[in-house]
Amino acid sequence: MKKISIFIHQFFLLFFLFPVVVLASSTNGTIDAVYKYAWSEKAGWINFGCANCNVHITDSGLTGYAWSENYGWINLNPTNSGVKNNSEGTLSGYAWGENLGWINFSGVSIDSNGNFSGIATGDNTSQISFNCANCQVKTDWRPQSARTTTTPTPTVSVGGGGSYIAPQTAVSFSGRAYPGSKVTLLKDAQIAASVLADPNAAFSISLSGLSSGDFLFSLYSEDSSGRRSSLIIYPINVTSGATVSMTGIFIAPTIAIDKSEVKKGENVAIFGQSVPQADITIAVNSDEEFYNKVLADANGAYLYNFDTSQLDMGQHYTKSKAAKDGAISSFSKAVSFLVSTKTVLAQPPTKCPSKADLNSDCRVNLVDFSIAAYWYKRAVSADFKKLEAEKLNGDGKVNLIDFSIMAFYWTG
Amino acid sequence: MFKTYKIKRYLDLVVIALVFIATPVLAAEISFDTKINSVAVGQQFQVSVVLNTNGEEINAVEGKIIFPSDLLKLKEIRDANSIVSFWVDKPKLESDGQIAFSGIIPGGYQGQRGLLLTLIFVSRKEGQGTIELQNAKTLLNDGNGTEAVLSITPYQFTISQAVSASSTPLVVSPIIDKEPPESFVPEIGQNSTISGGKWFLVFATQDKGLGVDHYEVKETRQRIFGVFAKWVTAESPYPYVLQDQELRSYIFVKAVDKAGNVRIEEISPQNPLSWYENYENWLIIILGLAILYAIKKLLWRRYLKK
Repeated sequence: MKKISIFIHQFFLLFFLFPVVVLASSTNGTIDAVYKYAWSEKAGWINFGCANCNVHITDSGLTGYAWSENYGWINLNPTNSGVKNNSEGTLSGYAWGENLGWINFSGVSIDSNGNFSGIATGDNTSQISFNCANCQVKTDWRPQSARTTTTPTPTVSVGGGGSYIAPQTAVSFSGRAYPGSKVTLLKDAQIAASVLADPNAAFSISLSGLSSGDFLFSLYSEDSSGRRSSLIIYPINVTSGATVSMTGIFIAPTIAIDKSEVKKGENVAIFGQSVPQADITIAVNSDEEFYNKVLADANGAYLYNFDTSQLDMGQHYTKSKAAKDGAISSFSKAVSFLVSTKTVLAQPPTKCPSKADLNSDCRVNLVDFSIAAYWYKRAVSADFKKLEAEKLNGDGKVNLIDFSIMAFYWTG
Repeated sequence: MFKTYKIKRYLDLVVIALVFIATPVLAAEISFDTKINSVAVGQQFQVSVVLNTNGEEINAVEGKIIFPSDLLKLKEIRDANSIVSFWVDKPKLESDGQIAFSGIIPGGYQGQRGLLLTLIFVSRKEGQGTIELQNAKTLLNDGNGTEAVLSITPYQFTISQAVSASSTPLVVSPIIDKEPPESFVPEIGQNSTISGGKWFLVFATQDKGLGVDHYEVKETRQRIFGVFAKWVTAESPYPYVLQDQELRSYIFVKAVDKAGNVRIEEISPQNPLSWYENYENWLIIILGLAILYAIKKLLWRRYLKK
């Protein structure tokens, strides 16, 4: 009788848990509300996310319309053709522009972060670029290999006695950080696990014993100099008895500069760490945005000397992203520098967050939150006023803005 | 043909222009999500407060929910499965018809359906009303606490005549919560601005079923006799000033969810007692000696009898 009961239980698990469950938006994506413009020298801006565009990206292709300000609608799924997707983000096939003719999407792809890249070529449009200086098209669709999937945890049965190991409720994350770097996983903003990446920057981290429900998991890594990447957030619904796997994670490079202020015409060194031998794109903003490429070394370190003679006087920002084996990271944090008439060296990188660390333990976590919460809606003491001026927004009181600053610098 | 195209294009432009004028560009949105907008007197219904960041990255949110208390009675506030990791003001009924809340999402949240909290109401009498949000703010995850453009969609409802006694009243289905709150790591901290630099304890966790109801803390220098020590109710996320400032006690933190499930976490003493300072050890030694003495006595009597 006990054996039959176990058999029925396993039968149930096989049938109900084995089908792979996938997040809806990663299989049927739409266009990001911000990043929706491609550029054509001839047709001008091409909007993939306009009010009536209704663009959808699925594993098989694109549907809906794009809008060219000069040439009108472009049908992404015309009769007898259409833009196809090989489920890994490599696009092919043709769209039809009512005043532009056929547009070939071979050469356009969507990376694991949902960014379009490459160039589509048209009969009359010359080229439509998805990766020019100011254009970017982004979707929440993800290639199959980079998608959040829910798969059952293997169950084990032992013959004879008929014992049964209950399936685990768990999550796992794997991808690339920096060689030998510490990768930290936060569960609902509190440190839950950490692991070291291997010499090739690969990491894998998992967490079990979870309840079923909605979680906010976040990941960050620290490079060999102690610089932290920004947090990557994953809102995940965990189902009882299943393991949610996030694969293909590509943590953005770290970034630093050697000068906080640089005399126009001198070089500013932009450096950091990513995956070994990754192609690093360094963006420097100005009226015109500059993109420069450099190859990371065997340790993932990169360095680019940027000539500031091409920049206007004033504040500028730089950020970097990495690409390797077809995968592209998101952009790093942006760091700022001033182009002026003198040069001031930047502070050496520190492991401690520059703000919000109220108890000076080089972490921003629940302890700091608790200290700020104590002073929330209270008249602050003279001691705390000094601390607030140094570590928070300096308005002499604790309010939501201070907590927002803390949430930005959060390390768990 | 060309003329038709031109007319069509102008019409499209007008439609697009109207859509853009009507919709604030890049505004995050807080709305009230519910399946119904008409109920009968005495029925329950559930309203979820949802954040759509519209492509922005939001890390802090606050507001005051206003509802007509003459029409609605608040039965329950649920914060389980909220995207808010830490509440600065845990959502609660502040005054008649007003629920205030504020909290943060470390690292920021970007998405279309981020649940903030869920409200369960019971309708009191016939009428029409609106649930709205006042003084609401959402802040960007930019390190400066910049306020995001925010639009709010109020929820309008109608309460009709009571259903007949024979029909089944509409009730929000209860959540069966058998799982304890999530595991967590309480931390000990110190800061010159808190209680004159005394050591304090901080703790927080989430419960994915019905939400955390309350926390209790126990400090004890004795491991075994600690079972008799008293639990003291404590509040998260505020610092709990420790009684044992020498940090020689075991500290237990109990998180209790609204279904009564319990999770207990423990912190070992940072400066544990030496073995001779712990009376438990002396009691064990004395007990051991007493047993040895009793055995000896027993054997001695038997020996004498022989």
